[in-house]
Amino acid sequence: MQRISVLLFAAALAAPACSTGDGSGGGGDVSATCGNAVCDSGETETTCPADCSQTGDQWDQQLNNRTVDYNAALRIASLRLTGKLPTVADINSVATAADDAAKKTVYNGLVKAMLETPEFKTQILAFWKDTFKQGDSALLDTAPTFAAMLTVNNGSYMDLFTASSGNCPTFDGTTFTPGECANGGPVAGVLTNPGVMAQFNSNFAFRRTRWVQETFVCTAFPAETAAAPVDVGGGAPYTGVWPFASIAGKDNGGRVDFHDVSATICANCHTTINHIAPLFANYDANGMYQTTISVPTPLDGAPLAKLSDYLPAGETTAWRYQVPAADLPALGAAMKNDPQVEACGVARIWNWALGKTDIVDTLQQVPSATITDQIAAFHASGWTLKDLVLAVYTSDDFVKF
Amino acid sequence: MKRFAYPLAILASSVLASACTDDLPPSDPLPPGSTQGGETTTFDHPGDSISPWDLLDRLTKEGPPSFTSHMHSCPKVKYATLGNILTGVGINAANTTAVSAGDLYTNGANALGAANYPNRIRENVAITTSGASREFDIFAAGAPEVIAAFTAGTIARCPGAKLFDASNACQPEGITCLTGVPATAEHVQFCNLTVTSASDVPTGQKLAVAAILAAAYTCE
Repeated sequence: MQRISVLLFAAALAAPACSTGDGSGGGGDVSATCGNAVCDSGETETTCPADCSQTGDQWDQQLNNRTVDYNAALRIASLRLTGKLPTVADINSVATAADDAAKKTVYNGLVKAMLETPEFKTQILAFWKDTFKQGDSALLDTAPTFAAMLTVNNGSYMDLFTASSGNCPTFDGTTFTPGECANGGPVAGVLTNPGVMAQFNSNFAFRRTRWVQETFVCTAFPAETAAAPVDVGGGAPYTGVWPFASIAGKDNGGRVDFHDVSATICANCHTTINHIAPLFANYDANGMYQTTISVPTPLDGAPLAKLSDYLPAGETTAWRYQVPAADLPALGAAMKNDPQVEACGVARIWNWALGKTDIVDTLQQVPSATITDQIAAFHASGWTLKDLVLAVYTSDDFVKF
Repeated sequence: MKRFAYPLAILASSVLASACTDDLPPSDPLPPGSTQGGETTTFDHPGDSISPWDLLDRLTKEGPPSFTSHMHSCPKVKYATLGNILTGVGINAANTTAVSAGDLYTNGANALGAANYPNRIRENVAITTSGASREFDIFAAGAPEVIAAFTAGTIARCPGAKLFDASNACQPEGITCLTGVPATAEHVQFCNLTVTSASDVPTGQKLAVAAILAAAYTCE
């Protein structure tokens, strides 16, 4: 918990004066104390904005005090992208470059070369295993392997939700071999992957729904929040955007009371969840698609769920309010058009590069403002994954310490 | 404080809503993957919510997301990467000899926070006491192998690099090879001080190598 504080303290001690000429410091000031986060006597907003700026707070000043270190960046990039230390030749090629511009050219070239190494395939597969929280068996490897293959081939991130074939490739440590999933049913990227369905099997398919939300939107439920909460007679208001009665409860045909307001307002999450989960409910515990709902309920005897447990008659499945999705391919198409999904993809690569823990499990948020440039480039490229990795690992933030 | 408001608001809504209970989150959250509730209350909802107090403490110490998202963190070296690093500095990561570096590594996956995918747990990248302790033990046990590899010149990453010269003085190119960044004068000074302060030179060299590795690989 204190590790960043320690680092910041160390960085503050190590931060050179504003005369380093990297453009991040403070004007022409040569004060030895500029950069110590205190506006010392003799320093002004003009000569040392890092310490004396009235517009930024202590955190802005800390950001301004970072300096570029391409050798430190090279070490981190090498360990993350290849799993190995850089060679002494590569270290020296950066260290002996004439100036920061030359170092940047050399560094960017080395990172680009790392993305073409065999080791990168293994590293990116490990990244996706961690992201998907599954792997190390033939069944559970297929989804992360598909994502890794997309990345290595600079494919579209959105294929994770929309690809209609070749979704279960294998990897022998060197080569990706395309393969089809053999679990039947519709095909939509990893949304129909048998390993995902088996790994996140649960009552009502809610765990599968949660996995999709947290992995690809980067937030826990509730996913949709109304501007104006509504009093539904409970101890707290209902904050969802869907009509309260758009999901099932004991008063409209369900066996579990998602309308309950006595403990908390279950509908705050379940209005979204219940419109998605039925799409995943036909997969059994082994991830095989069945023609009928095949997930249990937590009721006595664990009977299989019914559509009427999720939604009242006339209500249809959907990704979000007023974004209907009749089946999993439609769900994938809706996710492709969701800006939050796009931003989440960038944020996950960003957090990997900067060494963060899981964005949802530990709430390691990445505000959109931090990654605006990368999101725009990601969108413009057609969501190409290897380009995204390169953009993040060569970003200004990645090479500053 | 406005910069802290958004993450706290998200946390508050997710904790209260996902737990489906109006009780405050438990002061000691359940282990990841646990469930809580029953048919008469809220069935089996996940019990792995984030403590808002821990989050507030983190935000206060580390700064708001608008700051921390721009900064590198200090993650531990991933398990597989550590194996590559050991190999890259001349240690046999597959050594099965009891309490050798390879043995400590091979049998240290749990302590080092490796993934547990069957239980839907990704590899932990946070530094833990057990993980750091095991890693330092590995480096201490492996130091003789590192020195021997440099002496024999068998480290392919760093052809010709020497860790110590004939007078047992630390060499910057050897330290660069160990750490992955150019050695500074302070690195060399620290190394020499460690060697000369020990009871004898061989012990000092082992200590120096282990200490440099431990310092370099506390964070990836």
